[in-house]
Amino acid sequence: MTFLIAFISLLGTIAIFYGSKTIYAKFGFAWLSPIILTPVVVILILLVTGTPYEKYNAGGSILSNLLGPATVAFAVPIYKNFVLLKKYAIEIMVSITVGSAVAITSSFLLALLVGLNEELTHSLVPRSVTTPIAMDISTMIGGSPTLTAIFVMTTGILGGLLAPMLIRTCHFNTPSAKGLMLGMGAHGTGTSKAFEFGELEGTFSSIAMVVAALISIVLSTTLFPVFEQFVMSSLLP
Amino acid sequence: MRFAKSILQIGYLYVMLFIGNSISSVLHIPIPGSIIGLGLLFLLLQFNIIKLEWVELGAGLLLSELLLFFIPSAIGVINYDELFGVQGMKVIAVIVGSGIVVMLATGYMAEWFGHRKKGDVV
Repeated sequence: MTFLIAFISLLGTIAIFYGSKTIYAKFGFAWLSPIILTPVVVILILLVTGTPYEKYNAGGSILSNLLGPATVAFAVPIYKNFVLLKKYAIEIMVSITVGSAVAITSSFLLALLVGLNEELTHSLVPRSVTTPIAMDISTMIGGSPTLTAIFVMTTGILGGLLAPMLIRTCHFNTPSAKGLMLGMGAHGTGTSKAFEFGELEGTFSSIAMVVAALISIVLSTTLFPVFEQFVMSSLLP
Repeated sequence: MRFAKSILQIGYLYVMLFIGNSISSVLHIPIPGSIIGLGLLFLLLQFNIIKLEWVELGAGLLLSELLLFFIPSAIGVINYDELFGVQGMKVIAVIVGSGIVVMLATGYMAEWFGHRKKGDVV
Protein backbone atom coordinates (compact mmCIF):
# COMPACT_ATOMS: atom_id res chain seq x y z
CA MET A 1 0.00 0.00 0.00
CA THR A 2 2.78 2.41 0.97
CA PHE A 3 4.58 1.50 -2.22
CA LEU A 4 1.42 2.08 -4.24
CA ILE A 5 0.90 5.56 -2.72
CA ALA A 6 4.54 6.41 -3.43
CA PHE A 7 4.18 5.23 -7.02
CA ILE A 8 0.93 7.16 -7.58
CA SER A 9 2.48 10.25 -5.90
CA LEU A 10 5.45 10.17 -8.24
CA LEU A 11 3.47 9.64 -11.46
CA GLY A 12 0.69 11.98 -10.31
CA THR A 13 3.11 14.83 -9.57
CA ILE A 14 4.73 14.44 -13.00
CA ALA A 15 1.32 14.30 -14.72
CA ILE A 16 -0.02 17.37 -12.87
CA PHE A 17 3.25 19.20 -13.57
CA TYR A 18 2.95 18.65 -17.35
CA GLY A 19 -0.75 19.50 -17.19
CA SER A 20 0.14 22.78 -15.44
CA LYS A 21 2.81 23.47 -18.05
CA THR A 22 0.21 23.15 -20.82
CA ILE A 23 -2.23 25.44 -18.97
CA TYR A 24 0.56 27.97 -18.31
CA ALA A 25 1.63 27.94 -21.97
CA LYS A 26 -1.99 28.55 -23.03
CA PHE A 27 -2.92 31.39 -20.62
CA GLY A 28 0.49 32.75 -19.59
CA PHE A 29 -0.55 34.22 -16.20
CA ALA A 30 2.46 34.23 -13.87
CA TRP A 31 0.41 32.83 -10.97
CA LEU A 32 -0.51 29.83 -13.14
CA SER A 33 3.19 28.92 -13.41
CA PRO A 34 3.69 25.14 -12.84
CA ILE A 35 5.78 25.89 -9.74
CA ILE A 36 2.65 27.36 -8.11
CA LEU A 37 -0.21 25.45 -9.72
CA THR A 38 1.30 21.96 -9.25
CA PRO A 39 1.89 22.25 -5.46
CA VAL A 40 -1.56 23.80 -4.96
CA VAL A 41 -3.30 20.97 -6.84
CA VAL A 42 -1.24 18.26 -5.12
CA ILE A 43 -1.80 19.80 -1.65
CA LEU A 44 -5.56 19.89 -2.30
CA ILE A 45 -5.51 16.22 -3.34
CA LEU A 46 -3.47 15.27 -0.24
CA LEU A 47 -5.89 17.17 2.03
CA VAL A 48 -9.02 15.71 0.39
CA THR A 49 -7.72 12.12 0.46
CA GLY A 50 -6.17 12.58 3.93
CA THR A 51 -2.74 11.42 2.76
CA PRO A 52 0.10 12.51 5.09
CA TYR A 53 3.05 14.31 3.48
CA GLU A 54 5.47 11.56 4.58
CA LYS A 55 3.59 8.95 2.53
CA TYR A 56 3.43 11.29 -0.47
CA ASN A 57 7.10 12.11 -0.18
CA ALA A 58 8.15 8.46 -0.33
CA GLY A 59 7.49 8.92 -4.06
CA GLY A 60 8.02 12.67 -4.26
CA SER A 61 11.55 12.48 -2.85
CA ILE A 62 12.63 10.64 -6.02
CA LEU A 63 12.08 13.95 -7.82
CA SER A 64 13.81 16.04 -5.08
CA ASN A 65 16.71 13.63 -5.34
CA LEU A 66 17.25 14.61 -8.98
CA LEU A 67 18.19 18.12 -7.78
CA GLY A 68 21.62 16.63 -6.95
CA PRO A 69 22.60 15.61 -10.51
CA ALA A 70 20.75 18.70 -11.81
CA THR A 71 23.09 20.95 -9.80
CA VAL A 72 26.08 19.04 -11.23
CA ALA A 73 24.55 19.55 -14.70
CA PHE A 74 25.02 23.34 -14.42
CA ALA A 75 28.68 22.63 -15.25
CA VAL A 76 27.60 22.16 -18.90
CA PRO A 77 26.25 25.67 -19.67
CA ILE A 78 29.10 27.16 -17.62
CA TYR A 79 31.67 25.14 -19.62
CA LYS A 80 30.05 26.05 -22.96
CA ASN A 81 30.11 29.78 -22.19
CA PHE A 82 33.31 29.93 -20.18
CA VAL A 83 35.07 32.40 -22.52
CA LEU A 84 32.22 34.86 -22.04
CA LEU A 85 32.06 34.32 -18.28
CA LYS A 86 35.79 34.94 -17.99
CA LYS A 87 35.32 38.26 -19.77
CA TYR A 88 32.65 39.21 -17.21
CA ALA A 89 34.48 37.77 -14.18
CA ILE A 90 34.85 41.03 -12.23
CA GLU A 91 31.30 42.14 -12.94
CA ILE A 92 29.96 38.77 -11.79
CA MET A 93 32.04 38.67 -8.62
CA VAL A 94 31.19 42.26 -7.58
CA SER A 95 27.46 42.05 -8.40
CA ILE A 96 27.04 38.73 -6.61
CA THR A 97 29.06 39.76 -3.56
CA VAL A 98 26.90 42.88 -3.24
CA GLY A 99 23.74 40.81 -3.86
CA SER A 100 24.68 38.20 -1.23
CA ALA A 101 25.55 40.82 1.37
CA VAL A 102 22.24 42.62 0.71
CA ALA A 103 20.35 39.31 0.88
CA ILE A 104 21.77 38.38 4.27
CA THR A 105 21.52 41.82 5.92
CA SER A 106 18.09 42.74 4.51
CA SER A 107 16.54 39.37 5.47
CA PHE A 108 17.85 39.81 9.00
CA LEU A 109 16.82 43.45 9.40
CA LEU A 110 13.35 42.96 7.90
CA ALA A 111 12.78 39.88 10.08
CA LEU A 112 13.65 42.00 13.15
CA LEU A 113 11.39 44.79 11.89
CA VAL A 114 8.28 42.59 11.57
CA GLY A 115 9.16 40.90 14.87
CA LEU A 116 9.84 37.29 13.92
CA ASN A 117 11.32 34.97 16.54
CA GLU A 118 14.99 33.95 16.50
CA GLU A 119 14.45 30.55 14.86
CA LEU A 120 12.44 32.01 11.98
CA THR A 121 14.91 34.89 11.57
CA HIS A 122 17.95 32.62 11.39
CA SER A 123 16.13 30.30 9.03
CA LEU A 124 15.37 33.24 6.72
CA VAL A 125 18.94 34.60 6.51
CA PRO A 126 20.31 31.98 4.03
CA ARG A 127 17.13 31.93 1.87
CA SER A 128 18.76 33.33 -1.29
CA VAL A 129 20.94 30.35 -2.11
CA THR A 130 20.21 26.94 -3.52
CA THR A 131 18.50 24.52 -1.07
CA PRO A 132 21.28 22.12 0.07
CA ILE A 133 23.67 25.00 0.82
CA ALA A 134 21.00 27.13 2.45
CA MET A 135 20.14 24.21 4.76
CA ASP A 136 23.80 23.81 5.74
CA ILE A 137 24.20 27.55 6.45
CA SER A 138 20.97 27.51 8.47
CA THR A 139 22.36 24.78 10.73
CA MET A 140 25.64 26.67 11.13
CA ILE A 141 23.98 29.94 12.25
CA GLY A 142 21.29 28.35 14.45
CA GLY A 143 18.22 28.20 12.22
CA SER A 144 16.02 25.25 11.28
CA PRO A 145 17.09 23.57 8.03
CA THR A 146 13.55 22.34 7.21
CA LEU A 147 12.10 25.83 7.61
CA THR A 148 14.96 27.19 5.51
CA ALA A 149 14.15 24.71 2.72
CA ILE A 150 10.60 26.07 2.62
CA PHE A 151 11.80 29.70 2.65
CA VAL A 152 14.26 28.98 -0.16
CA MET A 153 11.38 27.50 -2.12
CA THR A 154 9.18 30.55 -1.43
CA THR A 155 12.04 32.86 -2.40
CA GLY A 156 12.37 31.03 -5.70
CA ILE A 157 8.65 31.19 -6.47
CA LEU A 158 8.22 34.86 -5.49
CA GLY A 159 11.55 35.87 -7.07
CA GLY A 160 10.51 34.26 -10.35
CA LEU A 161 7.27 36.28 -10.27
CA LEU A 162 8.88 39.60 -9.22
CA ALA A 163 11.94 39.51 -11.49
CA PRO A 164 10.17 40.05 -14.85
CA MET A 165 8.31 43.04 -13.33
CA LEU A 166 11.54 44.54 -11.98
CA ILE A 167 13.31 43.95 -15.30
CA ARG A 168 10.54 45.86 -17.10
CA THR A 169 10.22 48.75 -14.60
CA CYS A 170 13.97 49.31 -14.23
CA HIS A 171 14.78 48.72 -17.92
CA PHE A 172 17.47 46.12 -17.33
CA ASN A 173 18.61 45.40 -20.88
CA THR A 174 21.89 43.52 -20.69
CA PRO A 175 21.73 39.71 -20.53
CA SER A 176 24.25 39.87 -17.69
CA ALA A 177 22.02 42.07 -15.51
CA LYS A 178 18.92 39.94 -16.20
CA GLY A 179 20.73 36.64 -15.64
CA LEU A 180 22.67 37.70 -12.55
CA MET A 181 19.64 39.18 -10.76
CA LEU A 182 17.57 36.07 -11.50
CA GLY A 183 20.27 33.67 -10.30
CA MET A 184 20.99 35.81 -7.23
CA GLY A 185 17.36 36.58 -6.36
CA ALA A 186 15.66 33.30 -7.20
CA HIS A 187 18.41 30.60 -7.51
CA GLY A 188 17.16 27.48 -9.38
CA THR A 189 13.67 28.67 -10.30
CA GLY A 190 15.17 32.01 -11.37
CA THR A 191 17.68 30.21 -13.56
CA SER A 192 14.94 28.21 -15.20
CA LYS A 193 13.15 31.54 -15.88
CA ALA A 194 16.41 33.03 -17.18
CA PHE A 195 16.69 30.24 -19.76
CA GLU A 196 13.22 31.35 -21.00
CA PHE A 197 14.78 34.75 -21.73
CA GLY A 198 17.70 33.13 -23.59
CA GLU A 199 20.77 30.88 -23.38
CA LEU A 200 23.00 33.81 -22.37
CA GLU A 201 20.70 34.96 -19.54
CA GLY A 202 20.48 31.35 -18.37
CA THR A 203 24.24 30.98 -18.29
CA PHE A 204 24.72 34.17 -16.28
CA SER A 205 22.01 32.97 -13.92
CA SER A 206 23.68 29.55 -13.49
CA ILE A 207 27.01 31.12 -12.62
CA ALA A 208 25.29 33.61 -10.29
CA MET A 209 23.73 30.70 -8.42
CA VAL A 210 27.04 28.91 -7.96
CA VAL A 211 28.99 32.04 -7.00
CA ALA A 212 26.20 33.20 -4.64
CA ALA A 213 26.30 29.84 -2.88
CA LEU A 214 30.05 30.00 -2.28
CA ILE A 215 30.08 33.68 -1.25
CA SER A 216 27.10 33.22 1.06
CA ILE A 217 28.84 30.39 2.92
CA VAL A 218 31.75 32.75 3.62
CA LEU A 219 29.67 35.84 4.45
CA SER A 220 27.11 34.15 6.69
CA THR A 221 29.65 32.28 8.76
CA THR A 222 32.19 35.09 9.16
CA LEU A 223 30.59 38.52 8.78
CA PHE A 224 26.97 37.75 9.70
CA PRO A 225 27.66 36.87 13.39
CA VAL A 226 29.58 40.17 13.76
CA PHE A 227 26.80 42.11 12.03
CA GLU A 228 24.13 40.43 14.16
CA GLN A 229 25.95 41.23 17.38
CA PHE A 230 26.45 44.83 16.27
CA VAL A 231 22.75 45.30 15.46
CA MET A 232 21.54 43.59 18.62
CA SER A 233 23.89 45.53 20.89
CA SER A 234 22.94 48.88 19.34
CA LEU A 235 19.22 48.04 19.64
CA LEU A 236 19.46 46.88 23.27
CA PRO A 237 21.95 49.17 25.02
CA MET B 1 17.08 6.14 -28.18
CA ARG B 2 17.70 9.79 -27.39
CA PHE B 3 15.82 9.36 -24.12
CA ALA B 4 17.76 6.21 -23.17
CA LYS B 5 20.99 8.07 -23.88
CA SER B 6 19.87 10.96 -21.65
CA ILE B 7 19.09 8.55 -18.80
CA LEU B 8 22.53 6.93 -19.12
CA GLN B 9 24.13 10.39 -19.06
CA ILE B 10 22.20 11.31 -15.90
CA GLY B 11 23.93 8.21 -14.47
CA TYR B 12 27.30 9.86 -15.18
CA LEU B 13 26.10 13.01 -13.38
CA TYR B 14 25.16 10.84 -10.38
CA VAL B 15 28.72 9.45 -10.40
CA MET B 16 30.06 13.04 -10.24
CA LEU B 17 27.62 13.78 -7.40
CA PHE B 18 28.78 10.68 -5.54
CA ILE B 19 32.44 11.68 -5.88
CA GLY B 20 31.54 15.24 -4.78
CA ASN B 21 29.68 13.94 -1.72
CA SER B 22 32.61 11.69 -0.80
CA ILE B 23 35.09 14.55 -1.08
CA SER B 24 32.83 16.81 0.99
CA SER B 25 32.44 14.29 3.82
CA VAL B 26 36.02 12.98 3.85
CA LEU B 27 37.61 16.44 3.88
CA HIS B 28 34.91 17.98 6.14
CA ILE B 29 34.44 21.03 3.95
CA PRO B 30 31.17 22.97 4.35
CA ILE B 31 30.49 22.88 0.57
CA PRO B 32 27.78 20.42 -0.54
CA GLY B 33 28.78 17.50 -2.75
CA SER B 34 26.61 18.76 -5.61
CA ILE B 35 28.65 21.97 -5.91
CA ILE B 36 31.93 20.03 -5.68
CA GLY B 37 30.57 17.66 -8.36
CA LEU B 38 29.73 20.68 -10.53
CA GLY B 39 33.28 22.03 -10.16
CA LEU B 40 34.74 18.60 -10.86
CA LEU B 41 32.66 18.05 -14.02
CA PHE B 42 33.60 21.54 -15.21
CA LEU B 43 37.32 20.81 -14.75
CA LEU B 44 37.04 17.40 -16.46
CA LEU B 45 35.30 19.06 -19.42
CA GLN B 46 37.82 21.89 -19.47
CA PHE B 47 40.79 19.47 -19.58
CA ASN B 48 39.09 17.32 -22.23
CA ILE B 49 39.00 14.26 -19.97
CA ILE B 50 35.21 14.10 -20.40
CA LYS B 51 33.73 14.95 -23.79
CA LEU B 52 30.79 17.34 -23.90
CA GLU B 53 28.73 14.77 -25.90
CA TRP B 54 28.95 12.32 -22.99
CA VAL B 55 26.89 14.51 -20.67
CA GLU B 56 25.20 17.17 -22.81
CA LEU B 57 21.87 15.39 -23.45
CA GLY B 58 21.38 14.27 -19.85
CA ALA B 59 22.32 17.67 -18.44
CA GLY B 60 19.98 19.36 -20.92
CA LEU B 61 17.08 17.12 -19.89
CA LEU B 62 17.61 17.81 -16.16
CA LEU B 63 18.04 21.56 -16.62
CA SER B 64 14.95 21.91 -18.81
CA GLU B 65 12.79 20.13 -16.20
CA LEU B 66 14.44 21.75 -13.18
CA LEU B 67 11.20 23.17 -11.74
CA LEU B 68 9.71 19.68 -11.40
CA PHE B 69 12.39 18.70 -8.87
CA PHE B 70 11.44 21.58 -6.54
CA ILE B 71 7.75 20.61 -6.38
CA PRO B 72 7.87 17.93 -3.62
CA SER B 73 9.74 20.30 -1.23
CA ALA B 74 7.20 23.04 -1.96
CA ILE B 75 4.43 20.63 -0.98
CA GLY B 76 6.27 20.10 2.35
CA VAL B 77 4.77 23.40 3.51
CA ILE B 78 1.60 21.49 4.57
CA ASN B 79 3.52 20.19 7.59
CA TYR B 80 3.91 23.73 8.99
CA ASP B 81 0.54 24.91 10.26
CA GLU B 82 2.07 27.96 11.97
CA LEU B 83 3.07 29.33 8.55
CA PHE B 84 -0.58 29.63 7.49
CA GLY B 85 -1.33 32.59 9.77
CA VAL B 86 0.11 35.96 10.75
CA GLN B 87 3.63 34.47 11.00
CA GLY B 88 3.36 33.27 7.43
CA MET B 89 2.31 36.72 6.21
CA LYS B 90 5.28 38.27 8.02
CA VAL B 91 7.65 35.73 6.48
CA ILE B 92 6.27 36.47 3.01
CA ALA B 93 6.67 40.21 3.65
CA VAL B 94 10.34 39.67 4.54
CA ILE B 95 10.95 37.47 1.50
CA VAL B 96 9.25 39.89 -0.92
CA GLY B 97 10.93 42.97 0.59
CA SER B 98 14.39 41.47 0.77
CA GLY B 99 13.95 39.79 -2.63
CA ILE B 100 13.20 43.10 -4.35
CA VAL B 101 16.19 44.84 -2.72
CA VAL B 102 18.52 41.96 -3.61
CA MET B 103 17.46 41.84 -7.25
CA LEU B 104 17.63 45.62 -7.64
CA ALA B 105 21.10 45.77 -6.07
CA THR B 106 22.40 42.92 -8.25
CA GLY B 107 20.69 44.17 -11.42
CA TYR B 108 21.82 47.79 -11.08
CA MET B 109 25.35 46.69 -10.24
CA ALA B 110 25.54 44.53 -13.38
CA GLU B 111 23.87 47.19 -15.58
CA TRP B 112 26.34 49.79 -14.35
CA PHE B 113 29.25 47.54 -15.33
CA GLY B 114 27.57 46.83 -18.67
CA HIS B 115 27.27 50.52 -19.54
CA ARG B 116 30.83 51.20 -18.42
CA LYS B 117 31.99 48.41 -20.73
CA LYS B 118 30.11 49.99 -23.64
CA GLY B 119 31.71 53.32 -22.71
CA ASP B 120 35.17 51.73 -22.98
CA VAL B 121 34.53 50.65 -26.56
CA VAL B 122 33.33 54.07 -27.76
